[in-house]
Amino acid sequence: MTAPTKEQVGGFLARQGIIVAFVLFMIGFSMANARFIDPDNIMGVIRSSAILGVMALGVTFVVISGNLDLSVGSMMSFSTIVVLDLHDKIGPTLAIPAMFALTLGLGAFIGFLVGYLKLNSLIVTLGMLSAIHGLTLTWSGGKNMDIADKEGTWFKVFGQGDALGIPVPILLFVLLAALLGIALAKTPFGRKVYAVGGNATAATFSGIRRARVVFICYLISAFCVATAGLIQASRSLGSQNTVGQGLELEVLAAVILGGASLLGGSGTIFKTVIGVLILGFIQNGLLLVGLQFYVQFVVTWVIIILAVWLDIAAKRGKLWSPIA
Amino acid sequence: MNIRRIFCASATSVALAGAGAASAETMTIGITQNNVGVDSYQTTYEKAFIEAANANATVDAVVLDAGGDVARQIAQMEDLIQQEVDAIIIWPTNGEAVIPAVRKAHKAGIPVVVTNSNIAQAGFDFVASFSGPDNINQGARSAEIMCDKFKDMGIEKEAQVVHITGQPGYTTAIERAKGFEDRLPEVCPDVTVVDTQPGDWNREKSQKVMEAFLVKYDDIDGVYAGDDNMGVGALNAAKAAGREGIIFVGATNFAVGYEAMERGEYWGSIYQSPVDDAKAALQTAVDVLQGKDVPFLNYFDTPKITQDNMGDFSKPVF
Repeated sequence: MTAPTKEQVGGFLARQGIIVAFVLFMIGFSMANARFIDPDNIMGVIRSSAILGVMALGVTFVVISGNLDLSVGSMMSFSTIVVLDLHDKIGPTLAIPAMFALTLGLGAFIGFLVGYLKLNSLIVTLGMLSAIHGLTLTWSGGKNMDIADKEGTWFKVFGQGDALGIPVPILLFVLLAALLGIALAKTPFGRKVYAVGGNATAATFSGIRRARVVFICYLISAFCVATAGLIQASRSLGSQNTVGQGLELEVLAAVILGGASLLGGSGTIFKTVIGVLILGFIQNGLLLVGLQFYVQFVVTWVIIILAVWLDIAAKRGKLWSPIA
Repeated sequence: MNIRRIFCASATSVALAGAGAASAETMTIGITQNNVGVDSYQTTYEKAFIEAANANATVDAVVLDAGGDVARQIAQMEDLIQQEVDAIIIWPTNGEAVIPAVRKAHKAGIPVVVTNSNIAQAGFDFVASFSGPDNINQGARSAEIMCDKFKDMGIEKEAQVVHITGQPGYTTAIERAKGFEDRLPEVCPDVTVVDTQPGDWNREKSQKVMEAFLVKYDDIDGVYAGDDNMGVGALNAAKAAGREGIIFVGATNFAVGYEAMERGEYWGSIYQSPVDDAKAALQTAVDVLQGKDVPFLNYFDTPKITQDNMGDFSKPVF
């Protein structure tokens, strides 16, 4: 076995800069507080990151296709409220598919506007952010939604249950990540998503039906949001109307942190997962270190920007851009 | 029509200047609320306000909502001044930013009543009265509830408490935290607050914070949360981690908190009814208009509620 050459090491760093950043920062937090790497804590962080993570998987598709989805936060509130409300009205067995159908309907509507009508995705999803919030409030009448029988319902399995010794939210996250990861990396559809985001004109001339690809990306995103809403609802068995508020930016931060380009055409599911974990562990690590919380807002974003910088620097092999 | 309106308005102003001359005419009271629909408290408040206004034959209410937006609230204040209402009730979206608008109303001779959470001190000169809960007192009462329970359990010498606050920068959050932290060492000097973190009034966020606390501290005897929503989030985290025997105390008793108390999982809270809050605000405005002597800080009572006395209270509707 030969030692890796400098080029090989450099190449690895260039491809996996974000992973190096992740490892560095895990080591840093572990030194600050040994409980950080306690298996229970790690499991706990992954479990509570699962909601954000599942949403980020879908948004990865949308971002790679060259669009944005800012509506996922309020759409997640919608799914959560709807499934909680229907749980007591028509029972969990019917409530879950009904909620998925409604959420997919919203996704299809956004996909239609962005894909087929070619409207700017920033404007459409920003608008849908408020519109869906309004829809949620109308549905609930502004009230908190709670399941009446919190002990007796099997519905709590999605957020609180274990299977094979692993919390169900983590299983759902891993399962969806694997499925969507394969769909993106190994199928013709996945290649079309990259093509549409990388160069839309070239994609059209290659015979790719752009509108359809974008439409499906939004459907995938809505499906992920519905799954996240299901986990959220099942985890707390009750919810405020604003449960997903602000998540759209955290989701986007995770996706971009994973190295997807906001301009489309690049990014992978695996790196999005790393981005999600970085965000989750930063929040948890800062709490464990016991930093004063006003400072936490600042430190969180300093770490994120450092990680992105490290990623970019590794890609170009220099800390500074040679072109001013 | 217009002239009559203006005449009526100035007639009321005159009556006001005369202080005490109760008028039998109807009074128009405008209200601009913070963000109806964002939570159950505010939704119930609005409903109760409208009901109370309808029940009072001498009151005509103009009910507005700022949707949490400061700029919209200022515009609504200006609209109400233009309409020459007799009094304005404001639930501030932001304690600082609304002061110029409150001042403008004051200058136009329209008395302003602040409801639920007060504006910053710089604006006090322009306010006729503040009607709402005494949040510092609520924090203090929560400290007493927790301390009494620790004494019952005989752990008042060594108990450790974690504190989950509301949104940083929000007056209610700051006042409750202050009330709690000042009062606890007075009643239970040996109890330590080992950590404080914000839960942003959000159940999910609070659950995450509590999960981290449970990892960080092996010994937690009590949790004080700035409201029951966050308290229940913390309770969920403790249940998931299998940690038992922790005393949970919140504030603003929500239905979820009340139910958790019924199940014996949650010890106590502060009973604050949005219906009382809304009625008190309307009554304060009416009293001001009728020239009655109204204290500047017109608090309505928010009693302690624990598993022991919860039978005296009906389950909150929100």
